[in-house]
Amino acid sequence: MVQKKGIFSNIGKGAIYLIVFLLGLICLLPLLNIVAVSFSGSAAVAANKVGFLPVDFTTAAYEKILGDDQFWRSFGISVIRVILGLVLNLVLIVLMAYPLSKSKREFKGRSIYMNMLIFAMLFNGGMIPTYIVVKNLGLLNTVWALVLPGAVPIFSVIMVMNFFMGVPKALEEAAVIDGATPFQVLTRVYLPCSKPVIATVALFSIVGNWNDFFSGLIYMTKVNNYPLQTYIQSLSVKLEDMLNAGGSLSSLVNIMDVSSQNLNAAKIVVSVIPLLMIYPLLQKYLITGIVVGSVKE
Amino acid sequence: MSKRYMGRRILSVSVAAALALSLSACGGQNSEQEDPVAAETGGLGAYDETLVCNMGRSTIANPKFPEGDSYEDNAYTRYLKEKLNVEVVDSFEANGEDYDRQVSLAIASGELPDVMRVGSRDVLTELVENDLVADLTDVYEEYASDYIKEIYDSYDGRCLDEAMYDGRLMALPGTNYDAAPCEIFIRQDWLDDLGMNIDEDGDMCLTIDELEEVVRTFVDKDPGNTGNPVGLAFAPYLTAGDYGGSGYTMTAIGSAYQAFPGSWLMDENGQVYNGSTTEGMKNALAKLAEWFQEGLVDPQFGTRTWDDITALLTNGQTGIAFGPWHLPDWLLNNVRSMDPDAEFSAYTICDENGKVNVIHNNACSGYMVVRKGYSNPEVLIKIANLFFDDIVNDKNLEEEEPEVYEYITTVDNSARPIQVELNKNTYLVDEYSDIKNCVEGNITMDEVRSVESKTKVESIKRYLEDPDNAEVADWSSYTSRMNGMGLIDHLTAADQFEWFSPVFFDTTKTMETNNADLNKLQEETFVAIVTGSKSIDEFDTFVEDWNSRGGEQITKEVQEAVDAQ
Amino acid sequence: MKKKTFIQKRIMRSQSMYHMMMLPGMIFVLIFSYVPMVGIVMAFQDYVPAKGILGSEFVGLQHFKYMFSLPDIWQILTNTVVIAVGKIILGTVMAIAFAILLNEIRVKFFKKAVQTIVYLPHFLSWVVLAAVVINMVNLDGPVNQIVQMLGLDKINFLGSNTWFRPMIIVTDVWKEFGYNSIVYLAAITSIDPGLHEAAAMDGANWWKRIWHITLPGMLPIILLMGAMNLTSILSAGFDQIYNLYSPMVYQTGDVLDTYVYRMGMISRQYSFSTAVGLLRSVVGMALMLIANGLAKKLTDRKIF
Repeated sequence: MVQKKGIFSNIGKGAIYLIVFLLGLICLLPLLNIVAVSFSGSAAVAANKVGFLPVDFTTAAYEKILGDDQFWRSFGISVIRVILGLVLNLVLIVLMAYPLSKSKREFKGRSIYMNMLIFAMLFNGGMIPTYIVVKNLGLLNTVWALVLPGAVPIFSVIMVMNFFMGVPKALEEAAVIDGATPFQVLTRVYLPCSKPVIATVALFSIVGNWNDFFSGLIYMTKVNNYPLQTYIQSLSVKLEDMLNAGGSLSSLVNIMDVSSQNLNAAKIVVSVIPLLMIYPLLQKYLITGIVVGSVKE
Repeated sequence: MSKRYMGRRILSVSVAAALALSLSACGGQNSEQEDPVAAETGGLGAYDETLVCNMGRSTIANPKFPEGDSYEDNAYTRYLKEKLNVEVVDSFEANGEDYDRQVSLAIASGELPDVMRVGSRDVLTELVENDLVADLTDVYEEYASDYIKEIYDSYDGRCLDEAMYDGRLMALPGTNYDAAPCEIFIRQDWLDDLGMNIDEDGDMCLTIDELEEVVRTFVDKDPGNTGNPVGLAFAPYLTAGDYGGSGYTMTAIGSAYQAFPGSWLMDENGQVYNGSTTEGMKNALAKLAEWFQEGLVDPQFGTRTWDDITALLTNGQTGIAFGPWHLPDWLLNNVRSMDPDAEFSAYTICDENGKVNVIHNNACSGYMVVRKGYSNPEVLIKIANLFFDDIVNDKNLEEEEPEVYEYITTVDNSARPIQVELNKNTYLVDEYSDIKNCVEGNITMDEVRSVESKTKVESIKRYLEDPDNAEVADWSSYTSRMNGMGLIDHLTAADQFEWFSPVFFDTTKTMETNNADLNKLQEETFVAIVTGSKSIDEFDTFVEDWNSRGGEQITKEVQEAVDAQ
Repeated sequence: MKKKTFIQKRIMRSQSMYHMMMLPGMIFVLIFSYVPMVGIVMAFQDYVPAKGILGSEFVGLQHFKYMFSLPDIWQILTNTVVIAVGKIILGTVMAIAFAILLNEIRVKFFKKAVQTIVYLPHFLSWVVLAAVVINMVNLDGPVNQIVQMLGLDKINFLGSNTWFRPMIIVTDVWKEFGYNSIVYLAAITSIDPGLHEAAAMDGANWWKRIWHITLPGMLPIILLMGAMNLTSILSAGFDQIYNLYSPMVYQTGDVLDTYVYRMGMISRQYSFSTAVGLLRSVVGMALMLIANGLAKKLTDRKIF
C-alpha cells in the first residue's frame, strides 16, 4: 500500500517535471527557430526548410550586418536612448515615489498629485496632440523625443511608492532625529534598502526603452535617426508599400533588392543580445521587486 | 509658509506656460507670403542667394546611393545647387505608409515642408481646402519650359486637370502614361520541357481556358521539381488601380470579364457605376474561387507577403506571374539569378471575342505641392525643367555631367528632389520603337531619343551576343523590352485592344469619409469569396452592403459631377 | 510626547522639500500628458488643421453619432473585448497553473533554468516576436508541419478569420504566462506550509491540497490581479496586433487601438479618430474605477 502510493507520487512528480520542461521548451523553441534561420543559407530559408537547427550553416548574414552602417547607427541610438531614459526615469521615479509614500497627513498635497498621476495614466490626448507638443518643443529627430515623453513611468512610480511604504518608519525617525533632511532620508535610508524594486523598475525602463518602436516611427522623420526596433520594424517589405510604389519601375527594382529573410533574422538576433546580457543581472531582484511593489495593503 | 506658496506658484506658472504652448501649437499656420529670393530670369535662372528648400521626401528602403551619398546630399541635389543655387533640406524622409503618416502629421500640426510629394488626390484636395498650398497657375505659365508643356499636352489636359481646382493649378501632377495591359509572364523553359505550345495562333493572347490548362499542367507536373507547386499566387489586395501596380493582382483575369474594380465607368445610358460591383466582377471572382477550390490558386492566398510570393517564383513553386511589362526588370530577375535556365514569355488574356480589354490609366500619378506662403514657389517648376527637360534632352550628359549620368542608370529615381515622373503619353511606344530599331540596326545610337533607352539598347545588345552566359540585368532588359514592351506594340499594331475610359478619378465628399471603410469591405469580401469562406452568391450581399455603406451616395455624387462636366 | 512633536515639526518643515521633489516629474507629466489633452476638443470639432483648435467649428456629438452608425465599430468593439477577455482568462489560468507546477519543482538548477527561459519572452518586443511567430506558423513552418503529421490540413493561422483571434490570444499567453506567474508563485510560497502538512496527515492527496489549500490561499492575489486586468479590456495589445495583422483579418483582428491609429495617422480623420480614442479612454477609466472598488471590496487592498 505504502509502496504503491510512493510509485504514484513518483509518477506524479515525473509528470510535473515533464510538463514544466515542455512549457520551457515551448518558450524556447520559437526563439531557436529565428536563430537557426539567421545562420542558414538563403535558399534553404526561402524554401522554408529551416526548423530549429541551421540548414547550410553560414555566418554570411552576420558578416553583412557588420558592414551595415544604418544598423549600427540605429543600434547606437537605441543604446543612448536606453542610458538617457534609464537615468531620467530612475531619478524622477525615486524623487516622486518618496513624497508620495508619505501619508496624507505628512504630505499635504499628496492626494492631488496622486489623482493627477492616475488620471494621466488612464487618459491621454492621443498621438497627434502629443506629436504637436513634441514638435513645438523642437524635439523631433532628437533622442529626447524618444525619452522625454516617457520620462515619468507612472506605473513604476506607484510600484516604488508601495515599496517605500513598507520601509519601517523607525529607520526614518532615527535619521530625522539625527537631523537628516527628507532628501538625505531618501538617499541614506530608503534607497539602500530598496534594491529589488529599483532593479525591477530599472529593468522595466531598459526593456521599455529598448523595445519601443512606435515613438521612433512618429518622432523620427528620417530613417537615419531610427532607433533599432523601429529600423527592424521598417525592414519587412509591406504589401501596401508595393502598392504605393505604383508604376515607378525603378522603385520596384530597388524594393525587391533588400528582402532577405536570413539577414533580417540575424538583425533581430543581434538586436536582442543586449537585453539577454542585462536580463540575468537584474532577474534575481525581479520577484521581490514585483511582488512587494505591485500591491498596496 | 512662503515656501509652500512658492511651490504652488511654480506649479501654476508651469501650467500656464504649458497651456500657452499648446494653444500656439494648435493655432494654425501663419501663411503670410514670405519675401522672395531674387533670381536670374528664365526657367533655369539661378538664385542670387542660396535658396533653402525644405522638402518632404518619399524614399525607398534601398536607393543604391554610392558610398557617402544620401537623400539630402547626392548627385541630383548637388547638381541642383550648382545650377539653380537651391539647397535641399529634408524635413522628413520616409517610405510607404510611414511617409503617409509623416504627411498626416505635418498637415495636422499645420507645418508643411516647402515642397513635398502627396500621393493621392484626396490629400491634395484636403490641402487645397485647408488653403495650405500655393497656387502654381502663374508660375507654371511663366517658368515651365516648352518641352515640359509638351509633355502635359500629350495627355490632352487629362493630367493637368487632375491638379486643377476652380481653374487654378494647385500642384504639379506627375504623369502616368498608359501601360496596359496587365501581362502574364510564363516560364517558357517549362513549357518547352513539357512540350506545350500554348499560343498556336501566335497572337500572344490566351483565353481563360488556355491559362487554366497551363496552370493545371504546372500544378500536376510540377516542372520546378519542388514537390509543392502552388499554381497562381496573388497578393491579398487582389486588384490594382493601374497597370504599373498590377504585379501579383487579378487585373488580367478581371479584364477578360470586363471587370475593372475600383474604376468609375459609364454605361450606354449615361449611368455611372463602380467596376467593383459589376456582374463581370462577380464572374471573375467566381472563376478564381473555382480555381482555388481546385487547387489552382495558392492555398495560402491572402497572407503571403510580397516576399513570400516572390520566393514561390524563385523556388520554382510557381512559374506564372501577373504584372506590368517591366516585371522582368525588378522581379523576374530574381528568378533568373536563382535559375539561369529560366526564360519568360509574355502573354495577356483576351475575352471570348479575342479582344484584350484594357482601361485608361489615371493620366496623373502623384503631385508635387508647394507650401502656401513659401518665398519662391516657382522653384518647383524650375526643378521640373532641370530634371525632365534639361537633363533628359542633354545629348552630351555622359561627358558633361558623368556623375548625374551615372545616377540615372544606377540610383533610384526617388533620389531626385522632385518625386513624380514626367513622360509623354507615347513614351512606351516611342521607347520600344527606338530600342527595336536600334537593336536591329535601323537607326544609329545618336538617333535614340532618351538616355535611358540608350542604356537599354547597349544592355540588350550585350545579351544578344551570348544569351546563355549573359548577365541577369541584360537578360532583364531583353525580356522586359523585347517581350514585355513587344507585346504591347504587337497588340497595338494588331488593333486588339478594347479601350475603356473611366469617367471619374476624383474624390467626392462621401468618398472622403467612407472610402476607407468601403475598400476594407471590398478587400475582405473578395478574398473571402476566392478562398471559399464566403460563397459567390454573397457577392450580391456585398453589392448591397457596399451601396448601403456609402457606395450609393458616392455613385450619386459621381453621377452629378460627371453630368456637370 | 515631546519627541513626537519634534518629529512632526520636522515633517511639517519637509513639506516644501516634498513639493520640490515632485516638481521635475510633474513638469514632464504636465507637458507630455496634460497639455496634449487639450487635443481632446478635436473630438467635438470638425478639426481643420489650417484653422487649428481655436478656429475649427464645433459639431457637437456628430463624430460619435457617425461612429455608432458604422457597423464596423461594433465589430471592432467585439474584436477588442473578445481578444482581451481571452487573453485575461487563458493568461491567468496558465500563469496560476504554471506557478503551482513550478512550486513542486525541487531541483534548484532545473527550476532556475526554466524560470529564466519562461520569463524571457516577456522582455522581447513584439517587433521581434512577430517575426518569430510568423516564422513558426506560416503554411510551411514548424507548427503546420506538426499539423500535417497529425493528418490534418495545413492552416493559414494568421490569415484566417477563424484562427486569427485564437492566435493573438495564444501568442500573448505564450509571451506573458511565465512572467505573470511570478506574483502567483510568491503567493503560493507565502502560504503556511503547516496547512499542507496537516492536510497530508489527514490523507488529502495532492489535488485535494491544491484545491482546498493552495488555491484558496492565492485567492486574494487572483482577485486583485483579475480586477487589475479588467482595466485592460479595451486595450487588446496594439504592438502585437499591429505587427501581426493584415487587411485580410481586419474583420476579426482590428481592435480599437489599431483602428484609431489607421483613421488618425493614415486616413487623416483627425476628429473622428480622436472621438474613438476618447470613448476608449472614458470607458477605460470607468473600468479602472470599478476595478479599484472591486479590489478594495473583495481583498481589502487597493490597486492605487
